[in-house]
Amino acid sequence: MAYTPQYGPGTSNVAANRRKQMNPAIELEKVREISDEDIVLILGHRAPGSAYPTAHPPLAEQQEPDCPIRKLVTPTDGAKAGDRVRYVQFADSMYNSPAQPFQRSYTECYRFRGIDPGTLSGRQIVECRERDLEAYSKWLIETEMFDPALTSCRGATVHGHSLRLAEDGMMFDMLQRCILEDDGIVYYHKDQIGEPLDKKVAVGKPMGDEWCKEKTTIFHSLLGTAYRSDAEYIEYVQRIHSLRTKYGFMPVEE
Amino acid sequence: MAKIERAQKLFLDSLKTKFKGEDPESVKTTFYKFGGLEQSPRKREFMKAAADVEKTRGISMYDPMRCHLGGLPMGQRQLMTYQVSQSGVFVEGDDLHFVNNAAMQQFWDDIRRTVIVGMDLAHQTLQKRLGKEVTPETINEYLHILNHAMPGAAVVQEHMVETHPGIVDDCYVKVFTGDDSIADDIEPQFLLDINKLFPGDQAEVLKAAVGSSMYQAIHIPTIVSRTCDGGTTSRWSAMQIGMSFIAAYRMCAGEAAVADLSYAAKHAGVSQMATILPARRARGPNEPGGIKFGVFSDIIQANRKYPNDPARASLEVVGAGTMLFDQIWLGSYMSGGVGFTQYATAAYTDNILDEYTYYGMDYVKDKYGYDFTNPGVGNIAPTQEIVNDIATEVNLNAMEQYEQFPTLMEDHFGGSQRAGVIAAACGLSTSIPTGNSNAGLNGWYLSMLTHKEGWSRLGFFGYDLQDQCGSANSLSVRPDEGLIGELRGPNYPNYAMNVGHQGEYAAIVGGAHYGRGDAFCFDPLIKICFADPSLVFDFAEPRKEFARGAIREFMPAGERSLIIPAK
Repeated sequence: MAYTPQYGPGTSNVAANRRKQMNPAIELEKVREISDEDIVLILGHRAPGSAYPTAHPPLAEQQEPDCPIRKLVTPTDGAKAGDRVRYVQFADSMYNSPAQPFQRSYTECYRFRGIDPGTLSGRQIVECRERDLEAYSKWLIETEMFDPALTSCRGATVHGHSLRLAEDGMMFDMLQRCILEDDGIVYYHKDQIGEPLDKKVAVGKPMGDEWCKEKTTIFHSLLGTAYRSDAEYIEYVQRIHSLRTKYGFMPVEE
Repeated sequence: MAKIERAQKLFLDSLKTKFKGEDPESVKTTFYKFGGLEQSPRKREFMKAAADVEKTRGISMYDPMRCHLGGLPMGQRQLMTYQVSQSGVFVEGDDLHFVNNAAMQQFWDDIRRTVIVGMDLAHQTLQKRLGKEVTPETINEYLHILNHAMPGAAVVQEHMVETHPGIVDDCYVKVFTGDDSIADDIEPQFLLDINKLFPGDQAEVLKAAVGSSMYQAIHIPTIVSRTCDGGTTSRWSAMQIGMSFIAAYRMCAGEAAVADLSYAAKHAGVSQMATILPARRARGPNEPGGIKFGVFSDIIQANRKYPNDPARASLEVVGAGTMLFDQIWLGSYMSGGVGFTQYATAAYTDNILDEYTYYGMDYVKDKYGYDFTNPGVGNIAPTQEIVNDIATEVNLNAMEQYEQFPTLMEDHFGGSQRAGVIAAACGLSTSIPTGNSNAGLNGWYLSMLTHKEGWSRLGFFGYDLQDQCGSANSLSVRPDEGLIGELRGPNYPNYAMNVGHQGEYAAIVGGAHYGRGDAFCFDPLIKICFADPSLVFDFAEPRKEFARGAIREFMPAGERSLIIPAK
C-alpha cells in the first residue's frame, strides 16, 4: 500500500498554508529574484566566485567502500564534490511571517535532500553541503517562504522574533543587518553573521500585512487566524496526546 | 473547553510600569534609541565597578562596550525591569542572578545545611543498653549542650580550637514531636511548636504522622556547608551530636555504645534533604539534583501561610524551584554562565504565570465546580477527558494573552520562557483541582504539544526531547519507566537535562496536595522543619525574599567580616 502523506490536520487557512509549504508536489510562488552572487553574499561563507572549500576529495576520486547504502542513496551535488557543510539560519517574526521554525524543518525535510535542520523558538537552522545550501537558500528567499520585513537571515544574535515590530514594520534586529530604505526596498548591509558587506543586497519590498496574513503559517488571535477557531487541529493534538499517554501507561495493543 | 471572561489581568500593572508611556496592546514600537547599556543603572554600576577592579588588579574584565558583538553593546531595545510576582517590588534583571542576590544564596544554603535526625534510636541506646535515665530535663540539657557544640565548640576535650560564634550564628538545633505532653516539657527556645506554626487541621495531621517520636531539626553553619558541600551536613551534625550525648549523659568517650549513637546520627536516624546522585553527576547527599519534588514542595511553606490559596502556594514553589533547579542546579552546578537566569525568572516575575494560573482556577470553578479557595472539597476526577479539557483551555488562553498584548510577548521574548510558563499554568490548573500530580504532569505535556502546533515553535533544542515525548511517560509508574510525581526529581531520566522545567514540575506535585488541603506532600518531618521562624530565609515567602535580596535588603548568614580586614 503506497503511503500518501497528509502533511497535517486543520480546516483553517493557516493549516492549508502549512500543507502547501510541505507538499513537494506543489510549486510555491516565486515572488522575487535574487542573484546567485547576492545569495552567496548574504550567507557569508565564501567570496562570490571563489572555489568551494572541500572537506574531502570528490567521491569519484576517492575509494568508496562496497556499501549497500551508498548504492541506494544518490549523493547530492555538494556531497559528490566533497563540499564542506555550512548553514543558513532564519529568524521568523511571530507577527505573521510566512514561515515558522518547525514549519521550516518539516518543509525542508519534504523538499530538500541531505540536510540537517535544527529548530528553536525564534530561529531555525539548516545545514548541508555548501553548493546544495546555496540552491536551497535561494529557494527559501525567493519564494513565498520569505518576507523581507518579517523574515531574516541571522547566524547569531537572533533576538527579535517575538518583539513588537519597529515603526517601519521591520522585525527587530540589534545588528540591523537589513534596513528598509526610502525606496521601499529592504537591503542587507551585513551578512547573516553580521559582517558588513562591501555591496548592499536588495531582497525586495515587504509584502505587506494582507499578503502576510494570507500566507502565514502561524495562528494568531490578534492579527490572523485564532488557533481556537480550528477545532480539527485542536482535536488532533488532543488525540495524539491521549494515545501516547495511554500507551505509555500500559503498552498493550487493543 | 470554552473561554471564560476574566476582567482582571494581573500582569498589566507590570507591563505599564516596564513599558512606560506605551500601549501594551500595540504591535509597533521604536528601537535603537535607548542609549545601549547606559539606560540601565545596574549596568552602569557594573562598568564603574569593573574600572575600579582593573585599576587595582591590573587585569581587564567586564568591558561590554568592546567585547559584546565587537563593539555593539546590549540595549538596542529597552532593557526591562521586572516585578517579582506578588511582591510589588521591581528589580533589575541582573539582581535576580544568584551571584548578585544574597537571598537566593541563603535559600539554597538553608536547605543544604539542614538534616533531620531522629532521637528515638539514641534514647533507646541510652536507656536499654546503658541503663541511663532519659527525662525532659536530660533532653533539655542535651539540647543546651548541642546548641553549644553544633556551631563548632568543644564539650569534652581540653585545649581545642573552636569557631567564632559571630560567624556561625545561624547554626542551631530545635526538636519537634507529635506528642503535646512531651512537647510541653521542652524549653520553648528548643521547640518547633507544631500547634503554633500550622493551621489547626494541618497541625493535627502532622502530629499524628510524627506520633510520640522526637526529631532534631539541625542547621549546621552556612559557612561550613559553603566551604565543604551538602554531604558534609550529616557528618558535621553527627560528630557534634555524638560529642553532646557523651557530655550530656556522662558517657565514656570510647565506649562501644558511642558507635550506636554515631550510626543513628549518620545513617539510621537521619533524613537528608536530597539523595546522592550517580557518578556521572557526582554529587553527594543534600545537593540540588537529589531533591525529590515531593520533598521540595514540603520545604516550601506557602501552603502553611496561604492554606486557602493553593494556586499562590504552588506559585511560590515555582519561584523557589526555578531559582534552585534552573539557576543554581542546571545553571551553575551542571552548566555555567548567565543564560539560565533568563529562563527561570520568567516564571516568577511580572505576575504572568500567576494570571494564567488564576485563569485556570476560575475555569475549573466555572466548569467543574471546584472552588480553589476551599481546597479538599469537591476535587474532580483526573480522567483523560478532563485533563485534556483543562490543559487545552488554559493553554489557549495563555497563547491568546501573548497575542493580545504584544508587550507581554516582548516581556517573555524567548520561546522557552513562554513554553515553561504556559505549561506550568496548565499543569497547576490540572493538578490542583484533581489532587493528582501525574494528572498535572500530563496536562503539562498536552500544553507543550498544543503550543508547538499553534505557533510552530516551542523552546530551545532541549524541548524537542522531553516535552515531545513526555505524554508517554507522564502516567507511567512502573520501575524503570516512571514514578509518581512526588518521587520524581531533577535527576529523573527524562527531566535531567532541561532548564525551565524542574521548578514547575515540583510545583505541579505540590499543587496536587495543596489542592486537596493536605498538610504535607511527601514528608511531614521536612514540612515541620522548614516552618521554623528562626531560619534566616522565610520559606513561606520565597519570592518576596528573592525580591528583598534583589534590592539588597536581605541580610544573609555566614558573612566573614569578623575575620577579614575592614574596608
